[in-house]
Amino acid sequence: MKQSKTLDFSACRDTLRLALIGDAATQQLASLLPVLFARQGIRLEVYEGPFDAIELEVHDRNSGLYRFAPDVIAILNVVQALRMRYYERASSGTEFLETELHRITNVWDVIRERNAAPVIQSTLALPVERIFGNYDHKVPDSLYAIVSALNVKIAEAARSRTHVLVNDVEAIASHVGRRNWYDNRLWNLYKTFCALEHLPLVAQNIADVVLSIRGRTVKCVILDLDNTLWGGVIGDDGINGILLSAHGDGESFYEFQSFLREIQRRGILLAVCSKNDPENALKPFLEHSEMVLRREDIVVFTANWENKADNIRRIREALNIGFDSMVFLDDNPFERNLVRTLLPDVIVPELPEEPADYVRAISELNLFETSSFSAEDSKRTELYRQRTELEQTQSSFASVEEYLQSLDTEITVGRFDAKRIPRIAQLFQRSNQFNLTTHRHTQVSCEQLMGDPECYPIYAELRDRLGDHGLIGIVIARHQPEELFLSDWLMSCRVLGRGVEQFLMNHCVEYAAAHDYRRIIGEYLPTAKNAMVKNFYAQFGFEALSEAQDGSTRWRLDITAYRPTKVFMRAVVTACAIPETA
Amino acid sequence: MEEQQLRSQMLETFRDVFGDPALVVHDTTTASDVEAWDSLTHINLIVALERRFRIKFTTGEVATLHNVGDLVSLIKKKTP
Repeated sequence: MKQSKTLDFSACRDTLRLALIGDAATQQLASLLPVLFARQGIRLEVYEGPFDAIELEVHDRNSGLYRFAPDVIAILNVVQALRMRYYERASSGTEFLETELHRITNVWDVIRERNAAPVIQSTLALPVERIFGNYDHKVPDSLYAIVSALNVKIAEAARSRTHVLVNDVEAIASHVGRRNWYDNRLWNLYKTFCALEHLPLVAQNIADVVLSIRGRTVKCVILDLDNTLWGGVIGDDGINGILLSAHGDGESFYEFQSFLREIQRRGILLAVCSKNDPENALKPFLEHSEMVLRREDIVVFTANWENKADNIRRIREALNIGFDSMVFLDDNPFERNLVRTLLPDVIVPELPEEPADYVRAISELNLFETSSFSAEDSKRTELYRQRTELEQTQSSFASVEEYLQSLDTEITVGRFDAKRIPRIAQLFQRSNQFNLTTHRHTQVSCEQLMGDPECYPIYAELRDRLGDHGLIGIVIARHQPEELFLSDWLMSCRVLGRGVEQFLMNHCVEYAAAHDYRRIIGEYLPTAKNAMVKNFYAQFGFEALSEAQDGSTRWRLDITAYRPTKVFMRAVVTACAIPETA
Repeated sequence: MEEQQLRSQMLETFRDVFGDPALVVHDTTTASDVEAWDSLTHINLIVALERRFRIKFTTGEVATLHNVGDLVSLIKKKTP
């Protein structure tokens, strides 16, 4: 907390406005949070609502909360405050539970009507008292049963509301242990809801959720093999000598692999980086009956005797993602330190000596926070594998055109629609490199764009002979009096060089012409990661208008001078794409 | 513990919590005499002193503290 007074924001490229409202004291959290965000290069402005005034703040249109115009609203409901109301209850416990749930969800819904900010709702730590002992669970009226049920219902209600995310305070409290978590003196005197030493964990938890909304997500886990995925050294011990089994002494590794497979199913790519002969490294994947991970679960497989930092660079190039979205897991401290030193952006957690503790050690770091999950996530490994396959076939064609034609590509373009909003919002969050302005639109703001008649927000989906690439591009064009303004343009890097951007620009020019615009304006806002699109507009014949001090540039295209680029794909432009206005 | 030692350890904690390495307090010093001493840093101070001297204050003890002198005698009473 001391650090908050001497924070240096000079390295912060980004500002974020977080409102904190709760029925407990929030001052300590409010002073911890800016420290955590400054470490991520974000200058955090915090608004603290008055103590215990959640509803007042939310219902009053002129409250400090709305005047602050927050980017994110964190709501803290604590069990101590709930307990006081519980003691005063006039109705049955079941009715009390419903009332409390309604209070919470009503707050979310009112916020949703008045503000586009996502809401981060806390769960409640379970109380220490068990009036009925173990029988508490069987009595729906007990405080213990009510808090358990309320947490479940908060989660259920949040599932149907895309703007609500969960700050699982109960998970932290149970991890710390309730006898350490609570310091009721602090509650009685200052309305602080847990022992001071655990507040940084709560602050970190809120920060993790906020950062995931802002696009900080892990996309790939890079794995060592010997003594990480199995016990022993495959090159020395051979296929029958390594430790790996569903039961007994190889079980730690079996469990660890099972955990990694869940991570992969959840949409995170797995890569291998091993110092080994390639044939040896592959052998367990192909021949060992107890291997949980299969060769096809690994998107990039590197096994050689070169240094691991160079191999990780290669993996990064193959996947086209940032170093800061990669986690490197290796049992060997030398390799970990080497990677930390040479590639400081890669996340390199310490692994305990005991392999049975691998899963716990990694889980404690909460590396895989996300603010969305869609069907596309579970297909990601397959998509990336197709792409790598593509690059291998690419070289055997005489010309790029010939190659592109052979792919039999189909592009679908349409206005944002409800069923695609989760994936659209996700692309806004994830896309860093091919992103002209990096506006992090949330699900809520995407929904607003969807119905805005002054706006033409479109997505692009791509499929070809090798498979379905899903939704890979977004452009937002805004009607302005004299010109069409391209406020957002982003694409998934895995479809670069396919003519998608050329197709979309042709489409935008057609749209502008259909709406009697003569000019299109484009904008580029530099970030640490999007240098690759610095001259994006120049390639289409846009003329540079201005360059600001921060490096942001504006571009203008006179559409009469535009020559459509030839593209090699079939187009499916859905009916609503160019609405019959004007 | 020697009173001298106790007082110097307390001062170290005060300086640490209030972020002022030159801070000087007397028995008669109260929260209103120290700029950084507000309700928030007060909790930090109490918890930091508890950790430093491996003691626990009760709510009643914390509530009846008036100045640094009260704090000194309370800690003296609680440390062996």
